[in-house]
Amino acid sequence: MKQQHMYKFITSICFLFVLVSVSAQQSTDTIQKDSIVYKTNYGFRLGVDISKPIRGLLQEFYSGLEFVGDYRISKYWYAAAEIGTEEFTTKEDFTNSTSKGNYIRLGVNYNSYKNWLDMNNEIFIGFRYGFATFEQTLNSYQINSGNNILPTETITTPITNDGLTAHWSELQIGIRSEIYNNLFLTFSGSYKIMVSITDPENFKTHYAPGFNRVYASNTGFGFNYSISYLIPFSKK
Amino acid sequence: MKKYYFFLLLITVLISSCEKDDFCIDPITPNMVIRFYDATNITETKAVSDLTVNPSGLDSIYTNESLDSIIIPLDVTSNQIIYNFSSGTNVDILTIDYEVEEVFVSRSCGFKAIFNNVTITSDAANDWIIGLTTTLDNTVTITTIEDEAAAHVQIYH
Repeated sequence: MKQQHMYKFITSICFLFVLVSVSAQQSTDTIQKDSIVYKTNYGFRLGVDISKPIRGLLQEFYSGLEFVGDYRISKYWYAAAEIGTEEFTTKEDFTNSTSKGNYIRLGVNYNSYKNWLDMNNEIFIGFRYGFATFEQTLNSYQINSGNNILPTETITTPITNDGLTAHWSELQIGIRSEIYNNLFLTFSGSYKIMVSITDPENFKTHYAPGFNRVYASNTGFGFNYSISYLIPFSKK
Repeated sequence: MKKYYFFLLLITVLISSCEKDDFCIDPITPNMVIRFYDATNITETKAVSDLTVNPSGLDSIYTNESLDSIIIPLDVTSNQIIYNFSSGTNVDILTIDYEVEEVFVSRSCGFKAIFNNVTITSDAANDWIIGLTTTLDNTVTITTIEDEAAAHVQIYH
């Protein structure tokens, strides 16, 4: 668990530095009004979250893949979606369980960054509705007997509950920059609030794909690091 | 600039929320609570002198103590546990039979056990324990042991 926290911490720090440098840039330059209108590309942007396969290689208890996409609907608004699959093993003191399933997140992004000239970068705030369908297997567990006088045993007969679902709402904040013509790098973090979730009988859902760890307060956190390509339809 | 303060606040929230937020503080598997009463005056508690309690074949939980109430764990991996209750050199054997029900508590606590249809039998030799009920029978059945709020068993001696 500790490794995971560290990971979140480091990425959050990186995010912070990028924002600071962006704010420094804005305050030193003055934007001149000009009669020339710079046009930017509108179209479908498709990509993949590269953090998930990398994490899958580094951590044996995780595997996942996520595709991201958005469609620009106006100057500042984008319709956005993510679709993915994840498998995660939760190791607790007395239980070991694996969640496995698919998810989709649908919503919009609002770009709050005022671009220079024809640049096409974003600092966006996104809202999502998330839905996951998954199964959770209790791999092994030990009854918490509360004493160390009597022997204990670990029960290793797996118990699988399938057909579990989760619905949640999500707030995202991200930065996106065009690193090459129509090629974008995006980093975003998200805060999720569970709306409804099914728990296995006499157990609890510890991890929902797309939502990540379900905290006691029914909240969750996530991040994305994706590379995407814009298929331009028009210039406006 | 205001916008960035909002971002900073959110990042702070993100970082601080990654702390472990759940320690096991909920009640877990209950022990069996026993109180000792006077067999000649069944409403009065009476301490046992020189009490030693040990699960059969294991180390003692209480050794040569003078107590009128004790707690003993039940074995969650079995349906039966045998305890030796000694007062001085007098040994009385208590056989406890039960059904284990597993109940999920929380992420950090995992599963606890509660015990149903618990039957306690004192050996017929009847050394120092006279009875387990107000009518001084050698056996008693408890529907369920799910917490430690009150004594589950009365031992008259």
